[in-house]
Amino acid sequence: MPEKIRHPPIDKEKVQQAQAEIHLLKDQCKGCGYCIEYCPRKVLEESEEINARGVRPPKVVDNSKCIICSFCTAICPDFAIFVEEKPTRKTKEV
Amino acid sequence: MAENQKQQEKEDEPRIGVYVCHCGLNIAGSVDCAEVAKFASTLPHVVLSQDNRYTCSDQGQEGIKKDIKEHKLNRVVVASCSPRLHEPTFRKTCEDAGLNKYLFEMANIREHCSWVHLYDRKAGTEKAKDLVKMAVAKASLLQPAEEIEVPIARRALVIGGGVAGIQAALDLADTGYRVYLVEKEPSIGGMMARIDKTFPTMDCSICILAPKMSDVGHHPNIDLLTNSEVSEVKGYIGNFHVKVLRKPRYVTKDCSACGECTKVCPIITANEFDVGLATRHGIYTPFAQAVPSTYIIDMNLCLNKDGVVVCDKCIKACERQAVNFEMKPQTEEIEVGTIVVATGADVFDPSILPDYGFGKFPNVITSLEFERLINAGGPSGGHLIRPSDEEIPKRVAFIQCVGSRSEKSGKPYCSNVCCMNTIKDSLLIKEHWPDTEIYVFYVDIRAYGKGFEDLYKRAKKQGVVFIRGLPAEIRENKRTHDLWLIGENTLKREIYKTSANMVILSIGLEARKDSEMIQRLLTLSRNQDGFFLEAHPKLRPVDAATGGIFFAGCAESPKDIKDSVTQASAAAARAGILMAKGKVTVEAITPITFPEKCKACGLCVKVCPYNALTLDKDKKKVTVIEAACGGCGTCAAECAFGALTQSHFTDEQIIAQIDAITEKDADKKTVAFCCNWCSYAGADFAGVSRMQYPAHARIIRTMCSGRVSTKFIERAFARGAAAVLVSGCHIGDCHYINANLQTQKRVDRMWKKMEQNGLNKERLQLLWASAAEGEKFATKIRDMQSIVEKVKPEEIEKARQVFAKALEDN
Repeated sequence: MPEKIRHPPIDKEKVQQAQAEIHLLKDQCKGCGYCIEYCPRKVLEESEEINARGVRPPKVVDNSKCIICSFCTAICPDFAIFVEEKPTRKTKEV
Repeated sequence: MAENQKQQEKEDEPRIGVYVCHCGLNIAGSVDCAEVAKFASTLPHVVLSQDNRYTCSDQGQEGIKKDIKEHKLNRVVVASCSPRLHEPTFRKTCEDAGLNKYLFEMANIREHCSWVHLYDRKAGTEKAKDLVKMAVAKASLLQPAEEIEVPIARRALVIGGGVAGIQAALDLADTGYRVYLVEKEPSIGGMMARIDKTFPTMDCSICILAPKMSDVGHHPNIDLLTNSEVSEVKGYIGNFHVKVLRKPRYVTKDCSACGECTKVCPIITANEFDVGLATRHGIYTPFAQAVPSTYIIDMNLCLNKDGVVVCDKCIKACERQAVNFEMKPQTEEIEVGTIVVATGADVFDPSILPDYGFGKFPNVITSLEFERLINAGGPSGGHLIRPSDEEIPKRVAFIQCVGSRSEKSGKPYCSNVCCMNTIKDSLLIKEHWPDTEIYVFYVDIRAYGKGFEDLYKRAKKQGVVFIRGLPAEIRENKRTHDLWLIGENTLKREIYKTSANMVILSIGLEARKDSEMIQRLLTLSRNQDGFFLEAHPKLRPVDAATGGIFFAGCAESPKDIKDSVTQASAAAARAGILMAKGKVTVEAITPITFPEKCKACGLCVKVCPYNALTLDKDKKKVTVIEAACGGCGTCAAECAFGALTQSHFTDEQIIAQIDAITEKDADKKTVAFCCNWCSYAGADFAGVSRMQYPAHARIIRTMCSGRVSTKFIERAFARGAAAVLVSGCHIGDCHYINANLQTQKRVDRMWKKMEQNGLNKERLQLLWASAAEGEKFATKIRDMQSIVEKVKPEEIEKARQVFAKALEDN
């Protein structure tokens, strides 16, 4: 449809995105950076800290951007990251 | 052998019969017909010349038929009314007597002579003689011609799946033709699917449309190509080769539309179908009744857009395994005989009008957004809520003509539907919330259709207040987001300042932004407002100027649903006529090529409005696709080498007419070229209206002003003509798409040449006159009288010398 959209959706509050809870097992990470590179929403970046394996594990930049696609979990060679839906604010479906 | 040839030549020698018609006293009243007939008998090749009272009567026609046989006539000239009136009649007469119809020629001594020189019998008679002389000169050069037949493929393409496209496709498919319906959105339905109710009957829009949509989806004769665009059209009437780009949906036909995938899709965005007032997911269906019901993935937003399956939630959720990220765009090639253009219209974007604050003030919405809000299936479940606080407004204002009838917004035309749409909308509000105060600010209320006035009265009766005078400005209360409308009530002549909780801008319709692409693909023309131009506004309202193409719905002009459906059925019927016949004849006025003279410069190919010429550079050969040719002759005018001419309007024939005019007293005459459709018809109209003008002009008819080669103008001056008039349809109104742009260029070139050579360029005049502008034509001839009178003999002589070269050709 060619019309420009000028007003925000009325139901945007109701169809809120599920909130993510990102779990990082920092000491398991070997710092390959796959999760950072492949995250489609750029949720992660390299942190300043050094972990037990002597590398910089990722850190969460913006939790709200995560849409729980779990691709990070799928590609992490070290099973060091997984994402859950936050149990407190459950998605309200319309 | 030699004798045989002699015999053959003798048979080929023109034997012309001339018939000068009195038309009662219509011609005989101001032209001495007997004298004209006597004069005609002295002209070369004329073997028979007579005058009679009514040549078009059965008796007159029988006489011609008898003479053709008895006197072995092989050319016939009738001097009577306009060929636009009776040429077909006399052509038929000739054919009945076994004479090829292209061997007939007409001299228009009524509309162009007796009726416009009512009180000057002498000048009228002299002019009539000239006109007959011209016709005889042309007739002796006429050649028989056969009209070619082109087969028509019995398949149709409908572009656009709104209500017009749907109706056209269904009608054609029900008739039994194969139909390809191409829609660029994921679902058919178009604008009508988004509207809540229709006027004046208040039917639920989608309820009456959905069954038709589903008929299209199930029809055995319809191939529905959604999410697809026409990317190339080649060919001509009856034989169009079309390429359709089918964009992938990423969901296969196995989709059962259960909707499980959308529940898991993490992408949320605004739904375009609801003008962004509701959300949708990355995998979605635009609306519940969509046809096809197959879901679609928005690849601009999907996490997998880079080719890696990052997110597989929809794949996992789909029980039928219908999600397929491997799908690629495909180009489908189809062959069709006819095309219906039903591409619809866009709505006006009011954010360009800063005074109304649309896009800035949340509670100023458009009528399209209103339709989604009041719709039970829409984002608010049918509750008219205002965007700022989701409260139901108590005072609502409608503003009419936003993007219609306004020079300021660049849309000078009336959009046809907004008045009734607003009246319908106001009644809808009253129906749900009777206490709502409604104000409609308007310029004029146009309730012209069946049942419209009743609806208007009903709205007034229910307390809708109509105020004449659009607000000059809308102001917002920053705290409450209520609005103030300030303007002048032009009936009461007082300033108003009205408050409202919500303002609805009744936006107009405008041509689709991609109309230019469709125009280019199909070689169509558009009017100044951007809508597609029909072949004739009254008598061929659904035909395009290009053969085999028809219009339906808002693509041609803004119209309501009823008119769109009516036009769609008409377009389907028109296309059906061609396809039922299975063939079409092309008038034999197409180009004739002389390959030995061709220099392969390609100019003719460039000026052809129909892409009917193709150049083979290696073989130095131009090929004519006769079926695609419109017959304007602008290619012939463009060719500098005489390698191309127009059949039935050849260079020799036109030059013979020029020479006939300029043989005697050239310095007192104007050689006028008029195009068949507008200016010649305009001159006819001047005659019919008995507008009197001086008798210095002699009109040569061409199909298009684009046929007028500069060498014709030069020849007229070289033969001592006082003045030359070239006239055609208004720019943008050309019956051959845009061939008259070439006319403009050629006349400009001539003016420049005349100036450079110290000639008075006033002697060459250019006139754009429509078929209705008889007065404009008459005025031009009157104005040119002084030019003709003022030309000095030395000026004539100088022009003779400057253009002397023009006499050498032929």
